[in-house]
Amino acid sequence: MKEPVEIIDGTTGQFVDAELFDEITVEHFLETKKLWRPLVLRASEKLRAQGRQNMLPDYTNWDWTKKEPYLHMLATKFFGITCRKALQGIEVVQTENITGDCQCRLPVQRGKSLLYVDYLQVAPWNIKVLMEPIGEKVEFRGVGSRLMEAAIRFSIEEGFKGRIGLHSLPSSEPFYRNECGMVPVMRDPRKQNLLWFEFTPDQAQAYLGGDI
Amino acid sequence: MRMSRDRSWLLKRAEQEDRHFISVGGLVSRIAAGTSGGERTRLMRAAFLRLLQLARRDKRLTTEQFAEKADIDVAELILIDNTPNYSPTPRTIYKLSSLLKVPSKTLMALAGMVDLKDAQFEEAAVKFAASSEPMDKLTSDEQKTLQGYIKFLSEREK
Amino acid sequence: MNVKRTMTLNLTDSEMKVLEELSRQKDLTKTTVIRQALRLYQLIDARIKRGEKLFFEDPEQKKAELMVL
Repeated sequence: MKEPVEIIDGTTGQFVDAELFDEITVEHFLETKKLWRPLVLRASEKLRAQGRQNMLPDYTNWDWTKKEPYLHMLATKFFGITCRKALQGIEVVQTENITGDCQCRLPVQRGKSLLYVDYLQVAPWNIKVLMEPIGEKVEFRGVGSRLMEAAIRFSIEEGFKGRIGLHSLPSSEPFYRNECGMVPVMRDPRKQNLLWFEFTPDQAQAYLGGDI
Repeated sequence: MRMSRDRSWLLKRAEQEDRHFISVGGLVSRIAAGTSGGERTRLMRAAFLRLLQLARRDKRLTTEQFAEKADIDVAELILIDNTPNYSPTPRTIYKLSSLLKVPSKTLMALAGMVDLKDAQFEEAAVKFAASSEPMDKLTSDEQKTLQGYIKFLSEREK
Repeated sequence: MNVKRTMTLNLTDSEMKVLEELSRQKDLTKTTVIRQALRLYQLIDARIKRGEKLFFEDPEQKKAELMVL
């Protein structure tokens, strides 16, 4: 699947053409480790020096080559966004897993299936709160929002009616709660007490601005 | 899959995104780091590094082998060794705690990521950090010290 | 990769009943239930092939049961 999608140039503010695609390989993940991580480390040092530990991002140290079997499961689906020939964001979602993350926990929809957002990472040069401390402008804006949109639309395509669930990192909780309008359901002891958020079908539709 | 062409929607969402760091914790998890710097943290870090070094020597492993056994990134292990204020990721702590058979929370405290506010714990860390030389095979005294300290850390959670 | 192929599936009455009930409970179409089952089967099969074991635990009796496909 390759779908044209617009994002925003961080310097000019113009809308630019990007591409949403789903045929991701382990090489894409290795690219994130090689190209994204050094910039994340540099920005992290600046944030620490400024006493802004609560803004510290995390990055995965996974050896993605070992995770390759996971990448080939039917239940695992990927989305990536490229622009100007570089990967700008990457997402892994699951339609089913054996740890119960693909089941709704919100009482009004408990037991129903949802799409689980397992991994979502925007290239660090697109993250304003990381680039500002190091005095850089973001390259593109809206990449994370497009990945959230892709998850919701895929949930609809799969028959889950837009329901998605995710474990938020602490620094992202305000984003999901206040900006996206997701429901914080519970802290999950199986996932280091990270806050579990869900979208109901109505909330997912509201996030998309009614454009289903 | 047809993505939205509504530019005002995109602008609104981009503006919201600008204010936050968006990530999810399914594969990536994070706990707010404790304060970096400070004498207390430096001493605890010294104990943390000493624990890793002695455990590695006790198992007669190179840094790379130790990282592989713990299922962590060798680059991060080197960063832990060489960067004073570097905070290991929670996943790394979890993996190390499994290998060393020490509770994660205790290891996090040693790494300076959480503050247990426990004077006895801090004192034990200082003593342990000061108790051994970094090179060569562990002496039997060093082995006893290491085993004793691991036992102390394990029993602390109970 | 996203091209779909069609298959005819013959089910017994009881199998169809189970499928309909799952479809109702999960608020999914019957087709999606079947696809979900296939995904789950593949996940479990892959892990068992790697030598892992699958257990169920009864929270009251604290017993575990080994499930082998």
